[in-house]
Amino acid sequence: MTATTGELTTAEQVREAIMDARRDVTPMEIRSGGSVLDRLPAGDHPVLSVAGMTGVVAHAAEDLTVTVRAGTSLTELSQVLADAGQECPIEPTGGAGSTVGGRIATALAGPRQLGAGRVRDWLLRVRFVTGAGQIATAGGVTVKDVTGYDLCRLMTGSWGTLGVITEVTLKLRPLARHRAWYATDPPRHDLDALLYRPSASITTRDRTHVLLEGHPDDAVEQAALAELVPADPPTLPVTARASVDPARLVGLVEACETLGLAWAAQDGVGVCHLDGDGDQLDAARTAAEKRGGSLLVLDPDLRRPAFGSRGSFPLDERVRRTLDPDAVLAPWRWTR
Amino acid sequence: MTTAEGARRRPWARRAATQPGPLPWLDPGADLTDRERALLTAVHAIVGDDGLRAGELGRATYRRDASFLNADPLGVALPWTVEQTASVVRACRDHGVPFTPRAAGTGLAGGATPTGEGGVRPLVVSVARMDRLRELDVANRRAWVEPGLVNARLGRAAAVHGLRFAPDPASQIAATLGGNVSTNAGGIHVLTYGVMSQHVLAVELMDADGVVHLLDGTAPELGGIDLRGVSVGGEGTLGIVTGACLRLLPAPPSVGTMLAGFPSLRQAAAMVGDLVTSDRLPDAVELMDARAVGLVEGYANAGYPVDAAAVLLVEFEGLPHAVAAGIDTADALAEANGATSVTRAKDAAERARIWKGRKAVAGAIAKRAPDFFLQDVVVPRSRLGDMLDAVVAIGERERLEILNVVHAGDGNLHPFVLFDRREEGVLDRVFAAGHDIVTTALDLDGTVTGEHGVGIEKRDFLAQVFSEDDLAVQRAVRVAVEPSGLANPDKVLPSTVGCLEARMVPEGAWV
Repeated sequence: MTATTGELTTAEQVREAIMDARRDVTPMEIRSGGSVLDRLPAGDHPVLSVAGMTGVVAHAAEDLTVTVRAGTSLTELSQVLADAGQECPIEPTGGAGSTVGGRIATALAGPRQLGAGRVRDWLLRVRFVTGAGQIATAGGVTVKDVTGYDLCRLMTGSWGTLGVITEVTLKLRPLARHRAWYATDPPRHDLDALLYRPSASITTRDRTHVLLEGHPDDAVEQAALAELVPADPPTLPVTARASVDPARLVGLVEACETLGLAWAAQDGVGVCHLDGDGDQLDAARTAAEKRGGSLLVLDPDLRRPAFGSRGSFPLDERVRRTLDPDAVLAPWRWTR
Repeated sequence: MTTAEGARRRPWARRAATQPGPLPWLDPGADLTDRERALLTAVHAIVGDDGLRAGELGRATYRRDASFLNADPLGVALPWTVEQTASVVRACRDHGVPFTPRAAGTGLAGGATPTGEGGVRPLVVSVARMDRLRELDVANRRAWVEPGLVNARLGRAAAVHGLRFAPDPASQIAATLGGNVSTNAGGIHVLTYGVMSQHVLAVELMDADGVVHLLDGTAPELGGIDLRGVSVGGEGTLGIVTGACLRLLPAPPSVGTMLAGFPSLRQAAAMVGDLVTSDRLPDAVELMDARAVGLVEGYANAGYPVDAAAVLLVEFEGLPHAVAAGIDTADALAEANGATSVTRAKDAAERARIWKGRKAVAGAIAKRAPDFFLQDVVVPRSRLGDMLDAVVAIGERERLEILNVVHAGDGNLHPFVLFDRREEGVLDRVFAAGHDIVTTALDLDGTVTGEHGVGIEKRDFLAQVFSEDDLAVQRAVRVAVEPSGLANPDKVLPSTVGCLEARMVPEGAWV
């Protein structure tokens, strides 16, 4: 990565940077904290960074909402919310420097996705600048809102390609009274069905780790039901992550085991975290795609495309061309 | 009117003379343009006698949804299959006629009212006959459904296996899942379970060329952009939802329900604020004011305290200790906020009785007044007390009886404005009240619809919610997904040209 657009602190500056890029026909990489981007293949492009747009704009504890600028670190946000006994269960996914905007833009599953739901479900309002240079807002600060098209969902997981997210309003919930990791061995993939809505169930070669949140007495009873013992949280492999229909996760895990990869599978979610060399990951990607899934490589040193082959999505293309007519917002995102 | 008369009045329709004579499924003398007649003929060839309603009576029942907004459609196609639907949509495209997707028609914002720009009559395409539960995958807790499947039917099918479908709009015994997807429906349990979108894994969206696009799927990180999320709540303007994969949840092992009466709306609203900031979020918090309680008690006999200015219905679901602790907390908070009565449901029968009161609102209203106009606005929860006071004041000013039934935990108000359409000039007051309720919500940082949708009713308010750039982006997304403009035109976004064709007047006896 080469020159950057300098420290941007306002949506208007983001707009100017985008208009400059359109004029010069110079596509840009869109960056926030870099926790994911720095693990993708590097290109030689100018960088538009929102890392300078930080800070909590408004924490309405009594409304269970928080409005925060895109470059704010997740750690800082969690601290502010925890002081009020609240949280937004959007979590870092490995890599340092996770920001709110980055996590919304990439929308990768965190460890607690099983219980907390998807990243996209926590976004109430988004402010962004489109690739055409329009400063726009979608959604609102109320927890229910069907006013206009749901562009909050559209922006979540758009990886910077449709617009640059500058500010978001998130839904909050009370912090659980009790929160602890447990484990059981041998591993079993059925704990999500046996227990009542556990927060996480992550299976590795040796054991299954379970996160229970809620009332401590319920946790004791749930743990007894599945013969769980208190344990440390699992350590997740970081080189790659495969995603398949959760119904096909066990099949994928077996393939990865055969290939000699280190793995940790998020049961009921369908994400499998992997460590291995390039050839092993190529084979794992084939195994995931054969099951209708995909694999994301998060180690540029392996010299593999981050995203695998994707089918053709004509509607995706039309929307991208509309919101980013000059293809200045990381148009290469899903092809490298 | 005969063809000859039509040709005289509209010289460009003269070609009709060369068309076949009156079609058996049309009213004799139906006044159609060549284009309309050609489309109806083509649709008839696809769906047959049984699948097309083009006569006056057949069209009349499809003039509106559950709102007052109505318009005359060109005809109504009722395909049995996705293939037939695709052929019907392609016929519309080939003849340049817009279409209005529809299922049960329980929507409250005019989203299924067949209006077209410039007075063009759209074809209603009903998906109600495609009502199969395609697959119930118990092990993986999900269901593939056709759009005409009724919400409550999925609920019943899931319950057999200890599962539940969380979105539970009040109309769930009639509303279809296709409609729920298209309006991003809500319900009573949104507080912790979220709106419809959170329960939709994938959408099959048919575009105006009859091509079905699978949006998202059962794998969590497929890459690409979330057009599933945009199609949810698309209100038929992006195409027709011809199928969906929905997420099911395990039924909760324990449920705790409480009913508390308060001497003022303010105290009930304060209790809601305390509840949502406590350490355990309830799964449902419903508020009813004294008028609603009085009406419901006389009708359903649910044991509500009729002397209270407001009642709160609070429910916790989940594991037993968490539920018990939640109810204990709620009990203490009720007392702290001056509750005059607290009833905890001791068993399933008592719980059912408490819910019976809340669910009987529409029925009770029907016994009280011949008509009601149901609003849907949201405010941040901390403004709930202000909003409730404002609704009372608006009712007094317009001399209208307004009941407040509120998804209080979400800050989502449903004021029911009661009236009798035979009363001279009452509609002006009803619409004035509705308008003021919406603008008050906007003044309190709220929004114009929480779960009923924009349709036609709220369309022109969007300019007050969003900037021109915001709306330009929305419009651009719409055009990118549905470039033909034939799918439910005239809805959701304020139109840049033309004016509303639908009449804002409740119909009298039109059948």
